[in-house]
Amino acid sequence: MKFLCLECNTAMEFKETATPDQGSLTAIFECPDCFAEFAMHMNPWETQMLKSLNVQLGGKSEAAQPMQMVRSFLSEKNPDNLTSEAPTGSIEGGGKCPFSSAVAEAFQEPAATGPVWTPEALERLERVPSFVRSMAKSSIEEFARENGHTEITTEVMDTARGNFGM
Amino acid sequence: MKTYKDLPADGGSNIVGQVTEQVNRLQRRLASVNHTVAIMSGKGGVGKSSVTANLASALRLRGQSVGVVDADINGPSIAKMMGVRGEQIDYGIDGVKPAISPLGVKVMSMDLFLKDDETPVLWESQTQRDAFTWRGTMEMSALREFLSDTEWGTLDYLLIDLPPGADRLPNLVDLLPNLGGALVVTIPSGVSQLVVKKSLTMAKKLLNAPVIGVVENMAAYVCADCGKTENLFPSGHTEEMARQFDVSLLGQIPFDPRISIAADEGIAFVDQYRDTPAGQTFFGITDEIRMFFK
Repeated sequence: MKFLCLECNTAMEFKETATPDQGSLTAIFECPDCFAEFAMHMNPWETQMLKSLNVQLGGKSEAAQPMQMVRSFLSEKNPDNLTSEAPTGSIEGGGKCPFSSAVAEAFQEPAATGPVWTPEALERLERVPSFVRSMAKSSIEEFARENGHTEITTEVMDTARGNFGM
Repeated sequence: MKTYKDLPADGGSNIVGQVTEQVNRLQRRLASVNHTVAIMSGKGGVGKSSVTANLASALRLRGQSVGVVDADINGPSIAKMMGVRGEQIDYGIDGVKPAISPLGVKVMSMDLFLKDDETPVLWESQTQRDAFTWRGTMEMSALREFLSDTEWGTLDYLLIDLPPGADRLPNLVDLLPNLGGALVVTIPSGVSQLVVKKSLTMAKKLLNAPVIGVVENMAAYVCADCGKTENLFPSGHTEEMARQFDVSLLGQIPFDPRISIAADEGIAFVDQYRDTPAGQTFFGITDEIRMFFK
């Protein structure tokens, strides 16, 4: 995609990404002539598509680590494999984290803005089979946000479960 | 007002450049691989992975250096069949070291990254709803990383075990425009060949990809006691299909329950039972593949 400042008839330039919100990434562009800014909000699916291409808004400053996409985004990983840091200079002299910022962060909810799990709720979550736990956690958090809960208790989990028709 | 083509760049992200770099990285990695071979069928359940594992081992036993990529991201089985399941993998000098089978075949599979037996491939996402919009791209990115980020070293052959689906070869050709050849696996049933023909059309007529030939798996049953051969399915259709598409029938592998048992145990059937009819057929197909590239 390319963006045009209609006022100046000038190509707008990528400036920065804003704090991700619920899986939605925001990119801010600026006109180099009049300095007008606009924000492009991507929905979670668009953000996920960007993630799946393993590309970075604003350009990559560092080369990708080996298996970066798989290691970063596979939900349930073998904890014994690829545990060490990739050697400096691996592949094309890449540094530590090529996919460090925008898209990866989009999928890590900032603790301050997300609902907080009580220890009892977390304990119950741990009993959910591992291969669906991540999905269940996201769904319950989404339910909590939509319903104004700042804390996820076992009661909220029960309500969410009823809401999901389970 | 300026149009898309009037604007010189995308505002600084250079997405096209990033994707191009991924392609270049893949090409650099595979520069030391002599022949890339896709094992495909289009139809599930015909024994593609079993054929791949045994051909890889047979090539190795013929003195070739061989790697196998399990391109079935969601249903990986190559690691188990090649006896490398649970093997720890780590970084090497310029990538990730592949798992190594007892015969010395280099293997990369999603199975090596999964937490345990029950764990399916799920990608981190805010929601799994509508995942069909991005999951396919995620899988292709994973395959690209397996190909480009594994330390294959110098290989004579890199076999790529494709999952079922006539769309898989075009996706692979997008990644590997210089694919050495495709090997198509079928069984004698009409249902299988109905699907496999679509893959052959895709490969030969639409992609103009080099097709090494067709392999008929489960061609017949050879009695272990008396050696008598009985057909499991009506015979003759695979030869007819090969003629129709002007491709070679590389071999007809008889059904042998020990192939399945060996796969479950992670041992190479072609090594353990090399003098059986099935074992000899695998070696014959191996020789046909080598002839194709001469």
